[in-house]
Amino acid sequence: MIAMPDLNTPVLVQGITGRAAQLHTRLMLAYGTRIVAGTSSRADAEPVEGVPVFPDCAQAVAATGATASITMVPPLAVADAVAQAIGAGIRLVVSIAEGVPVHDAMRIRRLAEQAGATWLGASTPGLCIPGEMKLGFLPDAALLPGPIGVISKSGTLSYEVCYRLKQLGLGQSAWIGVGGDLVKGTRFPDLLPYFAGDPRTQALVVVGEIGGTEEEDLATAIAATGFAKPTFVLIAGSKAREGVTMGHAGALVHGTSGTVASKTRAIEAAGGQAFTNIDTLVMAVARQMGR
Amino acid sequence: MLLLEHDGKELLASHGLPIAPGILLSIGETPGPDSLPPAPWVVKVQVPTGGRGKAGGIRLADSAADVERELAALLGSTLKGHAVRGCRVETRIKGGREIYLSLSADAASGGVMMLVSAMGGVDIESVAPEHILRATVSPDLAAVLAALPDLTTPLPADLRTPVGEALTAAARAFFASEALLLEINPLFVRADGGWLAGDAKVILDDNAFPRHPELVAMAQARADAYPETVFKLNEDFDFIVLDQAGTVGMVTTGAGLSMMMVDQLGDAGVSAFNFCDMRTGQMKGSPHRLKLVFDQMSQAPNLAVMLVNVFAGITHLGEFARLLVEAIAQTPHLPQVPIVARLLGNGLAEAEATLTQLGDQVILEPDLDKALALAAAFAKGHSA
Repeated sequence: MIAMPDLNTPVLVQGITGRAAQLHTRLMLAYGTRIVAGTSSRADAEPVEGVPVFPDCAQAVAATGATASITMVPPLAVADAVAQAIGAGIRLVVSIAEGVPVHDAMRIRRLAEQAGATWLGASTPGLCIPGEMKLGFLPDAALLPGPIGVISKSGTLSYEVCYRLKQLGLGQSAWIGVGGDLVKGTRFPDLLPYFAGDPRTQALVVVGEIGGTEEEDLATAIAATGFAKPTFVLIAGSKAREGVTMGHAGALVHGTSGTVASKTRAIEAAGGQAFTNIDTLVMAVARQMGR
Repeated sequence: MLLLEHDGKELLASHGLPIAPGILLSIGETPGPDSLPPAPWVVKVQVPTGGRGKAGGIRLADSAADVERELAALLGSTLKGHAVRGCRVETRIKGGREIYLSLSADAASGGVMMLVSAMGGVDIESVAPEHILRATVSPDLAAVLAALPDLTTPLPADLRTPVGEALTAAARAFFASEALLLEINPLFVRADGGWLAGDAKVILDDNAFPRHPELVAMAQARADAYPETVFKLNEDFDFIVLDQAGTVGMVTTGAGLSMMMVDQLGDAGVSAFNFCDMRTGQMKGSPHRLKLVFDQMSQAPNLAVMLVNVFAGITHLGEFARLLVEAIAQTPHLPQVPIVARLLGNGLAEAEATLTQLGDQVILEPDLDKALALAAAFAKGHSA
């Protein structure tokens, strides 16, 4: 089970004195996230938005009791930052940088597994429990408290899907971006137990794409655990050519695995519905929810 | 970045794996009298796809005249949809047992997956699972070495030592170059226990390039073979020409949504010229990225419409619109095609006011599906 945060979770922002980090800290605080500490390698760091800044995670955790962190550091620094957070006892680490090397991701994933911690990344827009808190920068224009659990590989595509559902009055129980990396900390099937047990979630929307076997593995987990909530899966990349990667390193078709056909078959066999068009997915969700 | 066979083999050789000696010849080049490796030869097209042999892209040559004839026939031709810009001419070696081996970053386990099959030389997907030995281990050399007995003990006795040696050497190269996939198929194992990589399929991780100046240098030196990687290295965003004959120029941000828009245009029967992920949040007040995109679109012979989509969380749309107008003004050869713009986020009113400078060339459409339909209609009007 992932270490899901809530509105009381004390949060640490790693690299808080960077320009983008300061902006996101301000926006997260405004949303309601309980940010209690930051870290910075700068010796003279002043508090940021009233948040005290520490030289490392261990001192930040000791002083504030932070249990979740978001790393706002450059891609090649993510591995060390996540290792430091996990070493300090953080239970949930979210990383947002684009371009984390895969060999780093493999090492971080091992570390997180050994510590029993949750790593969401490498590159994700984060997660949000609308109306309560967010870790990352999912856009307010698409956020609304509601009954739909959302998990996504793509930030922008999930923004569009949630924006349209919001126009129909359908908001999210929780929205978790896992990112489009080849190797990542948390995959779709890892999130299923949370949404199965969450009473607010009435349906699951999955924003997927070609490549890998994550959608197929989610289908296997749905079937194996008897996940009974209606599940709607959008798959981007139906027109991608074999061997051509578009932006996301994980979105690459090799031979017959990772294709839209393979994912659609698996999802439908598990009782879910699969789509290759935003509007048809949104309309199907709306019908299910009586809109 | 998927390496062409030549670069993959040279990478293996640089890490001490034996390969047949060979040279790369590009369009316009002919081998000098002393430049060829020892005879006889095989001439192999360098295109990023499997099944080259069946498609006629691998030819035998016994004399220098044969080599020249095959090069003349192959260079500049098209094989399985790929332009042939280069051929590797290498010494033809006596085969041996053909083994499959690979190491890859495994998405499901987050570790390194190693595969070995004594039935190499064919596409691994066509090999029955019971003939493939597998191990998934932690991402470090020690774990790979510890797993070697699991992968070699089930093999025939005469293969165990050479395959173990090859796997060890391949694993060192895999970690040293931070590869995502390193596949040797076939690995030739001779009766005397000697071995040699007969082919190489290597995928490198562009994101690790900052730690590997030697790989950056290789990509930069071969910009014609790896245009997308070199573009990303130099400009830090993604731009990929999808269809030279495509009619819709995409000016979009976000990988997943941009990919979906290409899909939905395809469903509407029109072809996108390009994919791009502008990362508008990183434009830093400069029209540079947009100018690069427009330069590329100036080369698109069938461009009928441009489709702009920005769903802005942080980006200020007013600034984006100003940069768009600037970039268009600074790209003299950009065709005067309609621009369908879907903008959503902060600064929309300012963006709309700015875009009036372009007159009725710009059509603002807040609904993405309608914007896609409009772009498709323009594209079809052009091609009809």
